[in-house]
Amino acid sequence: MTEPERRTTKRFRMLLHLLPAEFRGDFGLEMEQVFIDQRAEAAREGSKMGIWRLWWETAKGIFTTAPREHLSMLRQDSTFALRMMRKNLGFTIAAIIVLGLGIGANTAIFSIVNAVLLKPLPYAHGERLLMLRERLSRSAPAGRNVSVPEMLDYRRQNRSLDAIVEYHNMQFILLGRAEPEQVETGVVSWNFFDVFGAKPLFGRDFAPDDEREGAPAVLLLSYEFWLRSFGGDPTVVGKVFRMNDKPHTVIGVLPPFPQYPHENDVYMPSSACPFRSSSHMIGNRQMRMLRLFARMKPNVKPTEAEADLSTVAATMQKEFPNDYPDDAQPGVEATPLKAELTQEAKPTMLLLLAAAGFVLLIACANVANLNLARMVRRERELGVRTAMGASRIRLFRQLLTESSLLALIGGALGLLLADGSLQLLSAYVARFTPRAREVHIDVAVLLFTLAVAFFVRVLTGTAPAVARRENLITTLKEGGSQSTLGFVRGRLRSALIVAQVAVSFLLLIGAGLTVRSLINLQRVDPGFRPENVLTVQFSLDFTKYTSDQSQANFVESLLDKVQGLPGVMSAAVAGVFPLDKSPAQNGEFLIEGQQGNAAAKPTAEFNIVSPDYLKVLGIPLLGGRMLERRDREGAPRVAIINHSLAQHHWPRQNPLGRKILLNNGQLPVEIVGVIGDVREHSLDQPVTDLIYVPFAQFPNLGPSLMARTQGDPMAIARTVVQRLYEVDPNQPAGRIQSLEQYRADSIAAPRLTANLLGLFALLALAIAAAGIGGVMALAVSQRTHEIGVRMAIGARPAEIVRMILSQGMGLALVGVIIGVAAAFALTSAVKSFLFGVTPNDPATFLGVAAVLTAAALAACYLPARRAAQVDPLRALRTE
Amino acid sequence: MPPKVPEPAQPLTPAMFHVLLALAGDDLHGYAILKEVALRTAGEVKLSTGTLYGIIKRLLNDGLIIERRERPSAHDDERRRYYRLTPKGREVAATEAERLEKVVALARSRHLLKRTQPA
Repeated sequence: MTEPERRTTKRFRMLLHLLPAEFRGDFGLEMEQVFIDQRAEAAREGSKMGIWRLWWETAKGIFTTAPREHLSMLRQDSTFALRMMRKNLGFTIAAIIVLGLGIGANTAIFSIVNAVLLKPLPYAHGERLLMLRERLSRSAPAGRNVSVPEMLDYRRQNRSLDAIVEYHNMQFILLGRAEPEQVETGVVSWNFFDVFGAKPLFGRDFAPDDEREGAPAVLLLSYEFWLRSFGGDPTVVGKVFRMNDKPHTVIGVLPPFPQYPHENDVYMPSSACPFRSSSHMIGNRQMRMLRLFARMKPNVKPTEAEADLSTVAATMQKEFPNDYPDDAQPGVEATPLKAELTQEAKPTMLLLLAAAGFVLLIACANVANLNLARMVRRERELGVRTAMGASRIRLFRQLLTESSLLALIGGALGLLLADGSLQLLSAYVARFTPRAREVHIDVAVLLFTLAVAFFVRVLTGTAPAVARRENLITTLKEGGSQSTLGFVRGRLRSALIVAQVAVSFLLLIGAGLTVRSLINLQRVDPGFRPENVLTVQFSLDFTKYTSDQSQANFVESLLDKVQGLPGVMSAAVAGVFPLDKSPAQNGEFLIEGQQGNAAAKPTAEFNIVSPDYLKVLGIPLLGGRMLERRDREGAPRVAIINHSLAQHHWPRQNPLGRKILLNNGQLPVEIVGVIGDVREHSLDQPVTDLIYVPFAQFPNLGPSLMARTQGDPMAIARTVVQRLYEVDPNQPAGRIQSLEQYRADSIAAPRLTANLLGLFALLALAIAAAGIGGVMALAVSQRTHEIGVRMAIGARPAEIVRMILSQGMGLALVGVIIGVAAAFALTSAVKSFLFGVTPNDPATFLGVAAVLTAAALAACYLPARRAAQVDPLRALRTE
Repeated sequence: MPPKVPEPAQPLTPAMFHVLLALAGDDLHGYAILKEVALRTAGEVKLSTGTLYGIIKRLLNDGLIIERRERPSAHDDERRRYYRLTPKGREVAATEAERLEKVVALARSRHLLKRTQPA
């Protein structure tokens, strides 16, 4: 071959690679020859143009032939594969179910991860949005709200932000409809929605004039509230409603978007909030009631914004030394909004994704094994086809087509399963993030499922292909059903079983640990009795109940009415009640006689309660007395404290009769009782110091009513609300729920995590056990002859059972050992999910090992029993 | 009942028909088929290698042609394969030719063709 010929051939071969390998194998050399002839002829004619034309025509021909050939091959392969799948219906169904479950688990979890963690926030320029928090010093935890003068300073002096908007949440009362309604209200800057890029569905957004002092009061409705309370009626825009004492005009309806930090019903501009617009708030740097959101200028990093704002904070401290402690180093923490919205969900999502991934691995290993087992049975068919001239590539392609079809059908089933579980899952995710509503199956999820199916195809299809490295002649000689396990294949299958057991072990450990944590959580003594307690939150109309006396009178009348209801054993009000998720009311206090150290004032949580609070909740009195009706305005100020606070400040002393000083040391209060500790915020958090003061002496606008009932507390809910209307027909109730429900909600997230992990682990266990059983059954059928010989020379059935069991259990035990090692290495990843149990908890490890071994034993038992029932004569004759 | 005419698995395209026509004369290898088709159609039908072998594969599958075992000379390039029309192929080609003849006759009867006599 001459040099130009060689070059031509090389280029031509590259073109040929577009054609299916089989086609190339059949005609490649010939086509090469034809092309060389054609090219030589063109060269003889001496025209460069002719050669170019030949190349062009040839390339065109191959480009049009290639897709046609690929398609026809695919059609042929698929038809054949479908026929084979119908022939092996048992295998096909098993494989599709296993893969469907594996892919379904992954698709479902991925659809959540995609919606919550991967997708950009559904706000315009979501990546530039920040949540700002002040902190007192570098080491102090961030989280302080910001005062109006501070916000104005940040706005004026920053260089890195496009906009800073404010937010706070209030409860207003919507009047003028069938019943008064308590509405959660977001009070925001006029350009709040502009910064988030949310344009009203109907009507208009706030305008700068709406925020002017004295401007007519206007409202934007949230999408959910509009649907819920107005049935999605677009004519609501322009209507006027009374909110507390003022008419408000609805100017628009917001689109659905994740609301943070609260799900509000309506929004109003900051000037409409009487507290926010009072001179007390506007003029005082220390009245910190606002949360700030900001949008960075393009190309600014959050760290740069943080540094910029911290400089502003330092300047404020210099300018207004009286408003900041001397030793403070105020700074600002700027958290990207996406992180803010998803940080709580992230660890759980990733844990579940990993667990689902493990399930998929097990499913793949299982189907690969099924495939291998089937290969043994099909060996003869494939051998014959090879002998009849089917090329290696053709057979390989055939096998891959079969696994592709399995993977695709499994993927479709998985997609259906995922879609079916999505509603449940998004309700679960809603406990972690406001992005839950974005969870649905979209293009990204479909692509993910397709990618997973492809991955499955590679994993399940490759094993048999690798194992087919055996000699054609041996295959034919051995004959179909009696073909022994080839060395490579046997090892591969054992390895796959070991892997399934090991990964199942990991999943079971994960599930075991979270389930134990859940049990521990449920066993935590909350310090109160949650059963049969009704809670009714309400928020007094702040335009009407302006004096302490009016607030105290309202509560007193309400309690009198509710206590008199049949079925109510006791009733009380409280500022906060356990596990209701409202923020802790922390405050500083001084201890009389210990005022020396002013820098380190002790702090505690405060709760404002009516006398029967302890009785309603069943909190034990440890010393002194309960609060009583005589502890009212004008009487000596009193408080009761919890055990934890007593231990901290009066260890081995009697705190009764001691005085603590509130309001910067201005207000002495006498400790009259010590009560048991209560888990106020969450069952998994340690108890904090708590001071309870009487509502009659410290009235406020937002107490919650609680009633201990004889039967189901929800049964009297409506009657209680009627009593509320009797006291004031314009005073609505907020959330009404049993305390037991709050307790259940507080552990709902860990419960669901444990349930999901448990489900995945059970799935893994079932798949792995079925895998072991299947492999052992095949081994038995392949060793029938050998077993027959053994029995013929005197082996007893028990020995045969032992022989088969030991083979299967050997594999399972290796899997368990590897699983233990892997679990030791990996369980630290779940540490943050655990409560009251260590990641290497020996009991869980032992328990899981026992469960897995038992499952393996059960899976091996059936084939072993079948082996023991082999009739030696028949077995020998089959050879 | 009219005698059953063997039908190819797929309808015959003009290019396939030309390949069959080329092989109706003599057993030919791929390059020779290309040349023959180009010659007989005065360059009007020009097959590329890709198209040609797509056609050959289909004709082989349908049993209209076969590969000839014996080679014309021992010195012939080993890569060349010679193809031969099978009786079935011949029949299919003839049927197609008859069909075309009828079409031409019809066209003539409607005065679509200028010449009244065949050449």
